[in-house]
Amino acid sequence: MNLDWLDAFLVFGLFEVVMVIGLALLLHLQLGLARIANFGVVGFWGLGMYAFGVSYVRVDWPFGEPWQFLVCALIATGVAALAGLLVGWYVADLDTDGVLVGTLGFATAVAILATTQQELTGGALGMGGLGFPYDIGTVKANEFLWLVITTLLVAAILFFVWRVHRSPYGRLLIAVGANEPLARSLGKSTFRAKIGLFVVTSAAMGLLGAMFGVMVRFLDVLNLGVDITLAAIVGLVLGGTARVWGAVIGVVLTVGLFDIVVQVYLPLPREWHTQAIPVLREALFGLALIVVLLFRPLGVLGKMRRDRLMKKVHGR
Amino acid sequence: MDLVVQAVVIGLTENAPLVLAAIGFYLLYRLTGLINVAYAETVTLGAYFGMWANTTFGLDFYAVLLPAGVLAGLVSVATYLLVFRPAKRRNVGMLELIIISFGLSIFLRHALQFVFGYPVRFFDVPPPDTIMVLGVGVASFRLLALASVAILALLLYWFIQRSSFGLKIRALASDESLAQASGIRPLAVAVLIWFIAGLAGGLAGAFFGVGSSVAPLLGWRLFLPILLIVLVGRAWGLGGVITVGVATGVALAGATLQFGQGLYAQLLLILILLAILKIRARRLAAAGGVAA
Amino acid sequence: MAADAAAGSAVARPQIRVEGVAKSYSGRTVVDVDELVLGDSPIEGLIGPNGAGKTTLMRMIVHAVPLDRGRITLQSPAEPDLLLSAMPTDRIARHGVVKSNQLITDFDRLTILDSLLFAVTEAEREKPYRIFSERAVFARHREEIERLLDYFGLVDATAFAKSAGEKKLLDIIRCLILKPRFLLLDEPTAGLPDDITEKVMHTLRELAAAGTTVVIVAHDLNVIWNLCDEVVFMAEGKALLRGDPQSIREHRTIVEKYLGEGHV
Repeated sequence: MNLDWLDAFLVFGLFEVVMVIGLALLLHLQLGLARIANFGVVGFWGLGMYAFGVSYVRVDWPFGEPWQFLVCALIATGVAALAGLLVGWYVADLDTDGVLVGTLGFATAVAILATTQQELTGGALGMGGLGFPYDIGTVKANEFLWLVITTLLVAAILFFVWRVHRSPYGRLLIAVGANEPLARSLGKSTFRAKIGLFVVTSAAMGLLGAMFGVMVRFLDVLNLGVDITLAAIVGLVLGGTARVWGAVIGVVLTVGLFDIVVQVYLPLPREWHTQAIPVLREALFGLALIVVLLFRPLGVLGKMRRDRLMKKVHGR
Repeated sequence: MDLVVQAVVIGLTENAPLVLAAIGFYLLYRLTGLINVAYAETVTLGAYFGMWANTTFGLDFYAVLLPAGVLAGLVSVATYLLVFRPAKRRNVGMLELIIISFGLSIFLRHALQFVFGYPVRFFDVPPPDTIMVLGVGVASFRLLALASVAILALLLYWFIQRSSFGLKIRALASDESLAQASGIRPLAVAVLIWFIAGLAGGLAGAFFGVGSSVAPLLGWRLFLPILLIVLVGRAWGLGGVITVGVATGVALAGATLQFGQGLYAQLLLILILLAILKIRARRLAAAGGVAA
Repeated sequence: MAADAAAGSAVARPQIRVEGVAKSYSGRTVVDVDELVLGDSPIEGLIGPNGAGKTTLMRMIVHAVPLDRGRITLQSPAEPDLLLSAMPTDRIARHGVVKSNQLITDFDRLTILDSLLFAVTEAEREKPYRIFSERAVFARHREEIERLLDYFGLVDATAFAKSAGEKKLLDIIRCLILKPRFLLLDEPTAGLPDDITEKVMHTLRELAAAGTTVVIVAHDLNVIWNLCDEVVFMAEGKALLRGDPQSIREHRTIVEKYLGEGHV
């Protein structure tokens, strides 16, 4: 076996896992706490990716790296935050049906725009020209460093989510998800809370999209399908929608299992990897959603156990 | 004027199956209150079953329509008995049910590729005759599609709104225990509804498939338009869904002709229908019926 | 009671004015009140047979139920003529008009302590960038929360409210801890043990003496007679009688005649 070949796939596999963990953690705040069913995760992630790519490649920046990357990443985050504001406003006072169609419609609109605006995005053919904001030697070395940076970013997201659970903000989100009318009767601006949540989480999703764009150094509309949304949802549901670490465990067990164990380590015939494995992956993810939600809806980690948390935080 | 005539003819003939799919989806939505994402796959499977019957047994298109629809209907019933009915028994909430249906959609979409193969497939049919309608060339099978959709829509409309069985279905939709007490057998009625919905979706899929290609994403691409049509049209019942469906089909055709690009037309329709839904929700909220 | 009332009226007391308000469901009129002013006295009771529209009227005041017609305003020296019927429920609550729930309702994933902290935390602390403010919030409100929980015998604050009685009590304590200007209570003591009922009544008297206007809907007439300075009698959606408990009791014959079988 050629170890060099293995490494590249492993690095990318780890990157996938880390990135989907980040998305699933953000989805945990939306779906797990506030009970907002965001079926358009790919829309915010993809918008960030494309906003980054377009501003990176199409604009003649007067400065070099890493400023070019930082400015474009900021643009990507800002655009995604704006999208979060718009979509958040749209779904804030709608029921589950409305949230579904609003978020799904948004993701579809992003995919359509990316495909039709060919001069900007390269359309269906895709667009290259993205690169790492540094060069430390080989491509693999660059990719590995990018993996480390992305892992730090996702670790920060994890820390944020962990803190949210232990803060008044988290309590507000949980209350909104548990019984919104009751929260409103106590004077809480639940619509504003939901919009704020969408702005923050969408911005982070957009930044993760920009990180992905840099890693693959290519914009491809095929990435704007439903696959990444599915991966985030399955990972979160399997691991435990209501728990901080649910996203981490679930994504490791799903994306980690396929993109690392199966892709890198199982000695399967090469042809399988082009079609059979990816199709099997999606089929099993879909099946996992059905089985988990039927038989153990709260996933591997189970209930929120707020009583334990409050004892830990407040002693009494 | 020319554009309008073209839009109407093309819109009605090319997008008639969309209306049929919307009707099937609406039936399920009306009965269960659930947005069943996996309905997209009954459309896809209808196309696949039709293509399979066509290429395996050499039957012509019109002969495979019935098997395509019936098989899709059976798959629909199977999903009810194996997934949705058990889910309801376990008191799974509405949000979780939607996610389950999403998982089922993904599962079916990919499992079918192990049966029918990964590449895009095609119906094996001779090129259709072109018939001139109001100065616009229309493929013969599309006229049949329009005619079938119109007939089926009328039949279903009469069935649901006027027949005694339809009354039972509507009773079941509003209050299951009460309906049961009145002697309606919920399981039988539910199975029938899921079958009819699957049949409608499968037929729509076959019509779409013969006109272009048969691919795993066929149904999923239509899901958002179907969902939008039903959510907008449901305020006026089945008639509303049919009307909004027809209007959407014509508008799509017209916008495609205008922009020269189908994707822009889709985007425009999505935004318009989303706006209508939001405006309506706002109006309800202003009247005081706030969801929260 | 009279001394309390005298002390209470010395403080500026807010009133709620219901004018020309009506609500029908499927052609059946549930509420039809031409004019009703709540808040003349510190504690007022709202009684009447089932289906009289008491609960619906209360819900309309906090705009949990839309009005078919009419207007409901909050009258206070600082803000005269505040149109409640044009506001969403959360804004009404922020103006100090809070209602408890007739049906058992709770945040099923939050503990008792969570619930109370949630009610009492200021909006500025509940922002995404304030993820380190839990300690400060708890420190600020700890004494108050502990006092209430000890008083009502809720021993383990980090547990969930399990029984219907606990949830009902928690619902009331949440409203109390908000220190509203106008407190609407719908069947606050239904299902509660007698000793707790006594404590709730005592707390309401204190609250009323401190300036809060309390309106209670109850079927437990002992609570009404013992607590209220004034009682309004509703039937068939209309506010028919108003007076102090004594005169309403004496009107009992009318009350009974209206109902047919007697006990309201």
